[in-house]
Amino acid sequence: MNFAVIIIQVLFVPLVAPLIIGVTRRIKAAMQNRRGADIFQPYRDLIKLFRKAEVLSEDATTISLVSPYVVFASMITIGALIPIVPFAGNILSSYADFIVVISLMILATFFLALNGLDAGNAFGGLGSSREMTLAALTEAGLFFSFMSIALLVQSTNLITLSIHIGTLPSSDWLILSLAFLAFFIALLAENARYPFDNPSTHLELTMVHEAMIIEASGPRLALFEWAAASKLLIFIVLGANIFIPWGIIISGWQSLSLAILVLLCKVFVLTVAVAMLESMTAKLRFFRLPDLLSTSFMLGLIALALAIF
Amino acid sequence: MTEVEIQEKYIPKWAVSKVHGNCFVFDITPEQLVDVCSELFHVHQLPIKTVFASQGDIKSGEYYIHYVFGVPVENFYIIPRLLIIGTTEFPSLANSVYPASLYEGGIREMFGLEPIGRPSEAQPVLLHENWPAEIFPMRKDFMDIPLMNGHSKSMEYHFSKVDGEGIYEVPVGPVHAGIIEPGHFRFSMAGERIVRLEAKLGWMHKGSEKMFEKLSPSDGVRLAEHIAGDSSFAHSTAFCQAVEGLGGTIVSDRAQYARVIFGELERLAGHSSDLGFILSDTGFNFGLAQCGRLREQIMQACEKLTGHRFLRGVNIFGGVYVHLRKGEIEELLQLLHGWKKEFEEIIKIADDNSMVFNRLSGAGILAHQVAIDHCAVGVPARASGVIVDSRIDFPYAAYGKLHHEVSVEYGGDVLARFNVRKREVLTSLALINEALQAMPDGEPVSPREMTLRKNSYAVGISEGWRGEIVYVVVTDENGNISRVSLRDPSFLGWHLIPHAAPGNVLLDFPLINKSFNLSYSGNDK
Repeated sequence: MNFAVIIIQVLFVPLVAPLIIGVTRRIKAAMQNRRGADIFQPYRDLIKLFRKAEVLSEDATTISLVSPYVVFASMITIGALIPIVPFAGNILSSYADFIVVISLMILATFFLALNGLDAGNAFGGLGSSREMTLAALTEAGLFFSFMSIALLVQSTNLITLSIHIGTLPSSDWLILSLAFLAFFIALLAENARYPFDNPSTHLELTMVHEAMIIEASGPRLALFEWAAASKLLIFIVLGANIFIPWGIIISGWQSLSLAILVLLCKVFVLTVAVAMLESMTAKLRFFRLPDLLSTSFMLGLIALALAIF
Repeated sequence: MTEVEIQEKYIPKWAVSKVHGNCFVFDITPEQLVDVCSELFHVHQLPIKTVFASQGDIKSGEYYIHYVFGVPVENFYIIPRLLIIGTTEFPSLANSVYPASLYEGGIREMFGLEPIGRPSEAQPVLLHENWPAEIFPMRKDFMDIPLMNGHSKSMEYHFSKVDGEGIYEVPVGPVHAGIIEPGHFRFSMAGERIVRLEAKLGWMHKGSEKMFEKLSPSDGVRLAEHIAGDSSFAHSTAFCQAVEGLGGTIVSDRAQYARVIFGELERLAGHSSDLGFILSDTGFNFGLAQCGRLREQIMQACEKLTGHRFLRGVNIFGGVYVHLRKGEIEELLQLLHGWKKEFEEIIKIADDNSMVFNRLSGAGILAHQVAIDHCAVGVPARASGVIVDSRIDFPYAAYGKLHHEVSVEYGGDVLARFNVRKREVLTSLALINEALQAMPDGEPVSPREMTLRKNSYAVGISEGWRGEIVYVVVTDENGNISRVSLRDPSFLGWHLIPHAAPGNVLLDFPLINKSFNLSYSGNDK
């Protein structure tokens, strides 16, 4: 049982992540009256990229060589720590602190930004500068939204959080929903989704995330893409199992499979929400983005204040 | 106005003018140039349509420079002609008539004639710096010079530098992501803000104007259709009108209406695609998908009617090759009826989206005065409150007989250009409807026996969906075409964007650029 949980924890994020991207694209296509590609297309794209030869800029240093691995490894580690099947007995759970998770995210962002600057490409630099501007504003909202729940449960351990979230009295649901809103805005910003960034644009001048990896190619690009997909899934799982307190208690094999089923449903609902949002909105002006991020910050702060008093 | 009245009003008393159809050509000396042109431009407020050079007698080194001014509504053109012999220098007009500056730059590169006193920096406007030195593509002897490697570069290109702390440059292009033509943009940036933009074009010079001199007139129509590929019909209309003017060809009534119908169909396709791409650049993908579909419907209708999606091979001297039968007309009316409904529905969804509005409004403002100073044409001009539309100012085909007005907006921003297109789509639909119903019976093309006037000029103007297209056709003493000067609206438009971009954030530039949507090919010709 313990072993099975660890296997699921480690493999779930990297294996399912491309599917989430495929589903998002498919829903967006349907919303635009297009047929769209197969939902498994991102897997094929990854395989294709892994097989391709790599072109490295002459100006690239070790940073460009290393950062895809750092970014991808961070995401895999986070994927193993987050409460996919919250089971207190698993040995990974003692490391699953949300501060660790956020720090690993920042590590990945940091290396992405370095990667953008490394080859000296003007677009890469722009992307890094934009990403750091946004990241600095995003982290606060993200941190406070987790912190307010941590205060309710009296623990910063994500597994503990997700197990106890179901037992909270309904009077705490206001805090939960405020924190969730703050978290959801941070989800969009961290994952370069609308209205912050357009993940499918070809216009270099408007890119944020894509600009930082514009010099990458072949397997290294595949790692970046895979990491980005994993990050989206990580956020969605966090949203599903920390903020939506249903179907997460696990005691035996039967409840394990039920928990996975419920998780998949919740993940699907959140994926649809992201895709719908992207179909119905436009990108905001860059200098309007801080307004939205400070909304996330304020919501997190209010949730925190409510949790304290 | 009669010919005599025109002559009395616009042409100096001392000048001896010769009337070529609707062109009044008179010779001036370099000393008279500034006075004559300033009077036409500033006192009579005539828009300058184009300035072009042509080569006269090769042995004595003769060059002519023509300054084409249009008389709106009257449909006459006043052309002072400057003759220069034995020198390659001519006085610049740019200090008193600014819009002449651009054309003078083109003349310098194409003919190797130096405009003395031109204020603009020495940047090329039509060719890039790797073009070989001392080879001028529009001179008569150009075809005899073997072009090969080893020619020295004609110039060094230096981008203008912006000094200051923290100013950095972002180079974009000439190769872009996505399927578009080559152009280089150099941004000087302060943080995310654009301080200065320099657009460098000229990678697409295909020698089109030169090629017109080698082709028969009817092949010239086919070439005109390829100057700016998505504006084929407007280009061929302008060229046909110029040649028809030279040949005294009468265009049948039915063809006059047919040209309106096809011209407006082309506008529908161009505008609906532009609207979609503007929406797409705000990230509102719904708009691109739907407007793309609408454009495709028009393209398919065009193919069904004429056999070509881009309406190529339709125009010919004296009319159009397409008959438009009764059944086809009804089918088209029906299609457009449904199309209009869908268009309005889609645009309403976009209009109601506050995030889209927020992105469009206030972005890339082109000041009214800048548009006037540059003699801007087409959508950008109308969006900045300049009332120009050659369908009304220089009515051609059946436009004079139909009811329509200029769609003007005053904001000058992306939203204004978006709205101008939106309104023009509705105007076009109304025009097509009216033209389809008013179109008289008869042959769509008049008998085509045609000899061109000798040693003569004719101007053809049409309003493409980007703006006004100008062709001037010149014949030699045998009645053969010896020079074709063409001006795509993009030639003017590319010099407006650097005025609209500064102060905006770089992220908004693709949106601003798309709201102009200029042709690289049409500019570089």
